[in-house]
Amino acid sequence: MTSNTISNRLERLKWRLMDKTIELKQRLPQEIYQSPPSWWGYLLILPGILLVSFLFVGMGILTYYSFLTFDSIEFIIYEFTLENWRSFLTTDAYYFIFFRTIGLSLFITILAVGLALPYAYLTIRVRSSLLRKLLLISIFVPFFTGVIVRAYGWLIILGQNGLVNSFFGIFGLGPYRLIGTEIGVIIGLLQIMIPFAIIMIAPAVQNIDRAMELAASNLGANPFQTFYHIVIPLAKPGIAGGTIVVFTITAATYAVPALIGGGRVDFIANVIYRSLFDLSNYPLAATFSVALVIVASIFVLGIFQTLGSGTLGVDTGDSHE
Amino acid sequence: MSKESQTSLMNRFFRITRKLPGSRPVISTLVALQIVFLMLPTIVVFVVSFQPGDIVRFPPDGLSLQWYYELPDESRYISALWRSVLVATFCMLLSIPIGILAALGLIRYDIRFEKAFQLYFLLPFTVPLVVSGVILLIIFGEMGVIGNLWTVGLALTIINIPFMIWSVTSRVNALDSELENAAKNLGADEIQTFFNVTFPSIMPGVVTGALIMFVLGLNEFIVSLIITTPDIVTLPVLIYTSIRTNISPLIAAVASVYVIVAFLAVIVADRLVGLDELLQS
Repeated sequence: MTSNTISNRLERLKWRLMDKTIELKQRLPQEIYQSPPSWWGYLLILPGILLVSFLFVGMGILTYYSFLTFDSIEFIIYEFTLENWRSFLTTDAYYFIFFRTIGLSLFITILAVGLALPYAYLTIRVRSSLLRKLLLISIFVPFFTGVIVRAYGWLIILGQNGLVNSFFGIFGLGPYRLIGTEIGVIIGLLQIMIPFAIIMIAPAVQNIDRAMELAASNLGANPFQTFYHIVIPLAKPGIAGGTIVVFTITAATYAVPALIGGGRVDFIANVIYRSLFDLSNYPLAATFSVALVIVASIFVLGIFQTLGSGTLGVDTGDSHE
Repeated sequence: MSKESQTSLMNRFFRITRKLPGSRPVISTLVALQIVFLMLPTIVVFVVSFQPGDIVRFPPDGLSLQWYYELPDESRYISALWRSVLVATFCMLLSIPIGILAALGLIRYDIRFEKAFQLYFLLPFTVPLVVSGVILLIIFGEMGVIGNLWTVGLALTIINIPFMIWSVTSRVNALDSELENAAKNLGADEIQTFFNVTFPSIMPGVVTGALIMFVLGLNEFIVSLIITTPDIVTLPVLIYTSIRTNISPLIAAVASVYVIVAFLAVIVADRLVGLDELLQS
């Protein structure tokens, strides 16, 4: 009975609060809440704008830093120079790491999106709800486990006495060195990127009308033809979104090359970190960062041009395109 | 072979494949392998945490709770975990009002340059995380706030806020604005409409967003690595520095916290909004 009175009292309190706010509001000059809605709209998005402005302004600051002079004693001298860009563009070692990052990212993007497509398709189309749950859990549990813990798991699996080498050992093969190799890094990154790709692709698959697939198979297409001619073209927005997300995240990855790559398969992010904390060379770190953003943006624009903005474009419900 | 016998053979073939799991044998096999691939590292970490003795071996040669007993004495890890929880909570609480307001503002009001603002709100996704880390290190450094825990919380809110805006946006989109108009026609004013109609119907989006913000905050690594100082390291950063030197099963026990949190988060998300819903946003 007491719980009843408490909830009653809470309800009454809620109403009183509501009345008070309405009363307060009515005391305000009419124009405030009857002013043009657009005015309100800007006010509502203002906190978000301020929050993101750290990055927006920061990109400008970063570009500015990339033209400042580095000094081993004073660290930064506020004098303009092209030295950072020159050393970035002419040092072979930097070049090499840049191309490795882009090359491996492209490779991983293709694999991840290719593997995510059938996964997303099955997740949406599978009839058994138990199976669907299993599929969804296998996406979200790794997604929520975090990069570091999963990289740690791979260290155990791929190590000299790990699962993979014990398996090969049964056949008298190995042990193979996987830690510190590109293959190890690719495995680790692929496992991190597939859930991202699935999450981007699934909504597009959801939008495919089942009748299209049924029509295709009625007209004599086998499951492969249906998948190739119906599902893949119609899932294009998801593929575009997945490609962009996977590529940009992979190209900026730090933890997997650092842990599984063991310093032998460095990506750009590892070089940025080292120039920040080992060399204390902020201008150089800024130069690498700006270069990374430029490369990623060119890639994203390229995908927009060829595949469209896909599931990445925020649908506001009132855009008619 | 005649046309008829060919079709009857095909029919029989399809009748058989329909009995196979999922009726799409190739895709099913491929996906089954992926499930193993996706779950393997998480499960391995969890299993290794029950390994007796110092050496990490998989499969383990025994089971014990030895490392879990030692966990409470490892004050470094406990305080790092506590800091991670604080930072994640901060980031979740800050993102809820900001995300709701931004989503409502973008969708419910006529805003000029709406497309531009949408792109602007995607900036935390388009700027690579390591670059965001460098930017925040420079800005927070200039402001002299490096070394505070709230700075880390703010940083994580900045880089993850699109998740919140996204999941609320999808809910506001799904909400029929006629419902709100109906409420107003029946005499409710803006505030009543908001609390009785708008808010309850965008609630699942807010819950999903909050859950994602919390778990990502708990897991965030690279930005934290760049902007934390040694006395305020968060748990992922500490695990990273520890496994660079050795991979003792103790760290597996610490890391298992994340495995448990991940499973809990999935269960909670499933109960509250359904995992299918999570895939939509």
